[in-house]
Amino acid sequence: MSPMPTPTPDRLRRLLSMLNWLAQEGDASIDEMAARFDLTPSELVSELEMAACCGVPPYSPDQLLEIMVTDEGVVGRLGRSHARPRRMNSSEGFALAAACRALLAVPGSDPNGALSRALVKLDRALGDVKVTIDLDAPDHLGLLREALSTHRKVRIAYYSAAANEMSERTVVPHRIFTSEGHWYLDGWCEDVGDTRRFRLDRMATAVLAAAFDTSDPTASPGDGGAGDEVPVQAFVPGPDTRTVTIAADPATEWLFETIPAATQVGEDGDRRVWEVHVGGDAWLERLLLRLGPASAVVEPAEDASLATKAATAILDRYRT
Amino acid sequence: MPSANPVERVTNLLLVLLDTPRPLSLRELTEQVPGYPDVGTEAARQCFSRDKAMLLSQGVPVETLDIDSDEQKGYRVDPEKYYLPDLGLEPDEQAALNLAVAAVHLGEPTGHHALAKLGVDAGRPSNAAAKAVVGLAPMGDVPALPELFDTIRNKATATFTYKSEKRSVDVAAIRFHGGYWYAIGWDRNRDAPRTFRVDRITSKVGAGANGSAQVPEDFDPVDAFAGEPWAFGEGERVEVDVAVDAAEATRVTTELGPDAVTEAAENGDIVVRMEVTDVEALISWVLGFLDHAEVLRPPEVRHAMIARLEAFATSGGAT
Repeated sequence: MSPMPTPTPDRLRRLLSMLNWLAQEGDASIDEMAARFDLTPSELVSELEMAACCGVPPYSPDQLLEIMVTDEGVVGRLGRSHARPRRMNSSEGFALAAACRALLAVPGSDPNGALSRALVKLDRALGDVKVTIDLDAPDHLGLLREALSTHRKVRIAYYSAAANEMSERTVVPHRIFTSEGHWYLDGWCEDVGDTRRFRLDRMATAVLAAAFDTSDPTASPGDGGAGDEVPVQAFVPGPDTRTVTIAADPATEWLFETIPAATQVGEDGDRRVWEVHVGGDAWLERLLLRLGPASAVVEPAEDASLATKAATAILDRYRT
Repeated sequence: MPSANPVERVTNLLLVLLDTPRPLSLRELTEQVPGYPDVGTEAARQCFSRDKAMLLSQGVPVETLDIDSDEQKGYRVDPEKYYLPDLGLEPDEQAALNLAVAAVHLGEPTGHHALAKLGVDAGRPSNAAAKAVVGLAPMGDVPALPELFDTIRNKATATFTYKSEKRSVDVAAIRFHGGYWYAIGWDRNRDAPRTFRVDRITSKVGAGANGSAQVPEDFDPVDAFAGEPWAFGEGERVEVDVAVDAAEATRVTTELGPDAVTEAAENGDIVVRMEVTDVEALISWVLGFLDHAEVLRPPEVRHAMIARLEAFATSGGAT
C-alpha cells in the first residue's frame, strides 16, 4: 500500500525549509538531510531535482537554483538571502509566542535564562504582541517536582471532589503537568493499587516519603506510551463511572461545554438532553445545582432526587 | 516548459515575485512562470489565485498593488518583508526554543514549522525534554486565535460575532487564564474596555486596514482584564464575602490568589472577598463547592443564593 501523497501546501512548506537549511549549510549528506526532513533518500533526491529546475526567466542555468546532487551528497549555492529566516504565518507566530511564554510562566523557570533571551529576540522579529499566559502556582508544585526528580514517593492529604471526602494516600509520582488551567500529578496510588490522577489544588498537604525503585513496574506509567503528551482532556472515565441523562435549559449549554465527554443526545420540548459521565454523587450534585432548578435528571431514576438532597444540605448551613 | 507539478509552479512563482523590482500583472506572471494554463484564460486566473492564496497562508507577504496597465493590479513580494533580519540566536537560545515548542502542547505541529522558518536547528530533543508539561487549549479548537494575533500585529480593528452580536474591537492583548483564551481590547461600539472568551467567538475574525486600530494610550490590558466568570458581566460591581471550608481552601486560594483571602482560621477555613459584576455566575461558582462554601454578605446576594436553594428544595427534583 503506498502512503498518502503529501498535500501541496505541506510539500511547499517542506521544500522552502529545505532550501533555507541547505543555504545555511552549503552541503550535506543525502542521508542526513533526508532524516532531518523525514523523507527517504530517493524522495529527497526527487524533491531536490525538482527544486534545481526552479528559478526565474529565462530559466537559463545561471537563473536556476544552484543545487547539485551527487553520489556523495548535496551541494547548494543558494546565496545569502535564502539562508535568512523567513516570515511566519499568523498560526506559526502565535504558536511560538505562546509556547515560549507558557514555559516561562511555569513556576520556577529562570526569568533571565536562555528562553527569555530568545523571546526578546523573537519579539523584535514578530513585533511585541502582548500574549500573556497565566499558570497557577499551587503550593505543592515545588515539592512534587523534587519528589519526581529525586525518585521519592509522596504522602498527600487529598480532597476527592467526586466523593466529597478527604483521604490520605501514598503516591509514586510519574509526571506533573498542567492542562485546562489546572496542575495534575499522575502516579501510582499505593492505597488503591492503581494509577491515579490528582489535582494539585486539591492536595491539602504533601510531604516527601520513602525513595522508590525506578525499575519497579509501578514507577512508570506503562500503558499506551502516552507519557510524552499532555492529555487534552484531564478527565479519565474510571471503572465506577456511570452515565447520567439530564434535560437542561438551552441557556446552560456553556456549562456542558466545560464538561469533558458531555454529549447532547436529543431534545425534550424546550430542553436539551445531555449525557454525562459521572464519577461520584458529589460531582453530579454540583452540576445539577449549577444548572438550576429548571434542569433535571432523566435517567437513572435514583439520581432524580439528588439535587434536592444537596440543596437541603446546603440550606442547613445558611439556617444555622 | 509546462509543468504539471504545483509545488514546482508555486516555487517558481515565489522566486519570480521575490526577484521582480516592479509589480507584475497576472498576464506577465502566468506568462513567465511555467505550468499555468493558457495566458488570458479564466483557468489561468483561477490557478494563479489559488497559488497566491497558498503563499499567503504560509506567511509569504504577497502584495497587491495598483499598476499603470490595462490589468490595473500587480503583484510582488518585497524581500525585506519576506526575509526577517537574522535573529542572532545563540545555540543555548535555540535549544530553549526547541524545548519550549516540545514542552508546550498546542495540539498542532505549528510551533515546529515556526522554528524551521527561523532556521532554528530543530534537533531531536532529548527524551526528558520531549515530555510536554504545559497543555494549553489546542489551537485547533480556537480558530480565532491566530486571526486575533494578526490584528494585534497589524494594529487592525477586529470584527467578529460574539453572543450573537457583531462586535468591533481593537484588540490589545491575548491571555490564557484558567484554561481559556481571552482577547482583551477596546470595544468600538461600547466605547469601553472589554474581555472576550476567544472560543466563544462564533464567526471568522475580520480585520480592518493595517493601522486602523485605535487603542487608547492609557489602556492597560492587565487592568482591563475581566477573566473570571463573576467579573465578566456588565452589571454593577459588588463586593461579596464567601466563607470556604478547609477542604476547598487550597483550591480557592490557588484560583483567586492569596490577596483575596481576608480571614484565615486556625482550622484552615477561610473567607475570601470577590469583586462581582455577575451575581448569577458567582452563585454558580459557589454552588460548585456544595456545603463547603457559603455566601456571607451582602444580604441581597446571600438571599439570592437562599432563594436558588429553596427552589430546588421545593421542586423535589421532579422532571
